[in-house]
Amino acid sequence: MKRNLSNASVISLITAAIITVSTLFVPWWGMKFYAPQYPEGLDIIVYPSTLAGDIDIVNSLNHYIGMAIFSNESFPELQWMPYIVIAFFVLILIVALLRRKSFLYGLIALFVIGGIIGIWDMYRWLKEFGTNLDPMAPIELEPFIPPIIGENTIANFVTHSYFLFGGYLLVLVFILLVFPLWKDRAK
Amino acid sequence: MTTKRIISAVLGIVAGLLVAVVFFADFNQASENASGDLKSKAEKVYVPYGELDEYYMMSSGGHSGQLFVYGIPSMRKIRTVPIFTPDPATGYGYSKETKEMLGGFTWGDFHHPAISETAGDYDGEFLFANDVGNNRVAAVDLSTFTTVDIMSLPNMGGPHAGVFVTENTEYIALPTRFARPLDNKYADLDKYEEEYKGVVSMTTFDKETKKFDLAYQIVLPPWSYDLSDAGKKMSGDWIVMTTYNSEFATTNLEINASQNDRDYIVLVNWKKLEEEVAAGNYHDVNGAKMIDPRDHKGAIYAVPVAKSPHGVDVTPDGTRYIAAGKLAPMMTVFSFEKTFEAIEKEDFTDEKFGIPVLSYESVMEREVDPPGALGPLHTQFDDKGNAYNTMFISSEIVKWNIETGEVIDRTPSYFSPGHAAAAEGDTVSPDGKWLVSLNKISKDNFLSVGPSHPESMDLIDISGEKMEHIMAVPVDPEPHYAQIVHRDKIKTVTVYEKDENRENSVWKQEDARVERKGDEVHVYGIAMRSRFIFDAQSDRPDAVTVKEGDRVFFHLTNIDLDQDITHGFGINEYDLNFEVQPGQTSTLEFVADKAGVYPIYCTNFCSALHQEMSGYLLVEPK
Repeated sequence: MKRNLSNASVISLITAAIITVSTLFVPWWGMKFYAPQYPEGLDIIVYPSTLAGDIDIVNSLNHYIGMAIFSNESFPELQWMPYIVIAFFVLILIVALLRRKSFLYGLIALFVIGGIIGIWDMYRWLKEFGTNLDPMAPIELEPFIPPIIGENTIANFVTHSYFLFGGYLLVLVFILLVFPLWKDRAK
Repeated sequence: MTTKRIISAVLGIVAGLLVAVVFFADFNQASENASGDLKSKAEKVYVPYGELDEYYMMSSGGHSGQLFVYGIPSMRKIRTVPIFTPDPATGYGYSKETKEMLGGFTWGDFHHPAISETAGDYDGEFLFANDVGNNRVAAVDLSTFTTVDIMSLPNMGGPHAGVFVTENTEYIALPTRFARPLDNKYADLDKYEEEYKGVVSMTTFDKETKKFDLAYQIVLPPWSYDLSDAGKKMSGDWIVMTTYNSEFATTNLEINASQNDRDYIVLVNWKKLEEEVAAGNYHDVNGAKMIDPRDHKGAIYAVPVAKSPHGVDVTPDGTRYIAAGKLAPMMTVFSFEKTFEAIEKEDFTDEKFGIPVLSYESVMEREVDPPGALGPLHTQFDDKGNAYNTMFISSEIVKWNIETGEVIDRTPSYFSPGHAAAAEGDTVSPDGKWLVSLNKISKDNFLSVGPSHPESMDLIDISGEKMEHIMAVPVDPEPHYAQIVHRDKIKTVTVYEKDENRENSVWKQEDARVERKGDEVHVYGIAMRSRFIFDAQSDRPDAVTVKEGDRVFFHLTNIDLDQDITHGFGINEYDLNFEVQPGQTSTLEFVADKAGVYPIYCTNFCSALHQEMSGYLLVEPK
């Protein structure tokens, strides 16, 4: 078998694998809602396997505008997301052990595709929640799509959405995955 | 020539200015202003938006039966907490548990708040209240500012001299004011001396179960026990009480009880009595363990004091007790050390009612009699060894040094002060910052509201050598005593804990249900922004139908676990209203004795759609 990844590259990949699995325990993405009576802000915090923050309070406020209930059950992704993370962890380790550049290309492609699908999935949910409002809701609102990153105003609430620690770690993982391509570039 | 004149004129003006500056300019002013020492009175009490007062003042509400909570130094009233009086705004006295606690009474006369103590310092956990009107003691949980227990005391005749707590809240003590025959018996007033008794209730409070227990009662001669305090440190085993009516007057007390030149301070060793009670040395009277301290050597003594003393207060270091003589206008400082010595040497001058009377000269340290100061009532303390006395008749506060008796300062109060409260001023470590004079009269200090004027409170800065009167504020009738506790000691909860095992609680909308048991209807409902759900299965989840004569229980849980989102629950024409705090479950119990349709609505403004938060109680005719 042709081993064409250097030791440095292998270390980079192993680090990437460890970071990948560690993201299971840190939040990936979050949203903060501010209103005059919530100057301290209300949080929605998304971990790969669960929602956290002021979910109940946000739900009770969202019912005014007829938004569906946020809960772990309403996002099936949260059930199998950990498996995907673990799968990537294993795949990265395998590539690191096999030291084959061609496999690395495949892995990076997979990672990029996964990332795109993930972002698309988030967008899909934000659109679903923001535009599929209960017509019986007491407060009628123009449908809206909260941004994945950025600021948005809905009624009296200003929302900020942003990637959290886990999200940044995934960017770092990507960098660590591409690093061997540069390190072991053909001379 | 002209030049010379101009020069001399200019020189003259300059010299004049120089003289004026030297003699009249206040060079200190600028620097003092800059250092902020000369803050205006308004600045001293101004608490800007976003900042909080430094102290809570827990002020008794007298015959309103309530606790008034103030912020110090702003003197803003923050909350009225109902203790002995029903309060529809909070549902107190309407919900099942609070109704039971009030036991059918609709008022109480709350005189002296006592915050629970650890090592003689406020621990901020509970506040105890006496009811002079109906012989009760209550506990307020200071994590929620709600009344958690009320106990009725047998054999009492108005516990005016309480409540006070011993050093570690071992006991919450309540000495009685009016002597009365024991066991609710009848006895003619002619038999006052033999048949009538004064009683001290020694109650305990379990902080875990939040329940009172009457440990024992002390039976005493039929004197009137007026005020009292617990010892501290070296005097920690003792309680001190003032008495008047050593004359045993039974009518026209004001004159007849003021004949003797001397009344007494009664000292009781509670530690000794506790041991005797534990050893079974008591009689059962009306369910209470009654102990007569005269049966036990060393348990009780009397100290003569100038006639009709009012307050008796133990100094922060626990070495002295100071009596304020209402009718013999002076303060008397007694030494515990000398008292214990006199007891040791059996230095008694007399025996009254079987109680050894200690020699006044042996135990007294000094008398403090500021000229023209009339009607001393109560003593508070600062951190520099000074005492502050309210003067009811001469309407002033007198500051004096405990060690020397030297009068340091006097400031008027507006008007007729009863008690005063200093910041942590009755603990082992007073803060010496603020003193509030609790006045009986305000006269024309505030906008008129007709013949009934408010009572008033003066805020006085006691941080300097001289007292500084800062402001006066009106107050509802009628506070007696107050305690000022640092905000850091009060740990409140903002939302009740979500306890899924709590009896009668419902946490999921779909679990809301109505259950019928015979002629009882139990509604296990939820309140949330902005609707009621009584029966999740029903087409109209916010309507409940019962039959005339049914006993109805609304078990309501507020599932909005969000700060400051309280829901109310009022039923039209049924005279019912109560509230549930975030995370709380409360029960309203009543008999649906009127057929018809009765709207239900949320009475406590909860959200933009609060008005829509309503439902119906339908009572089918028989």
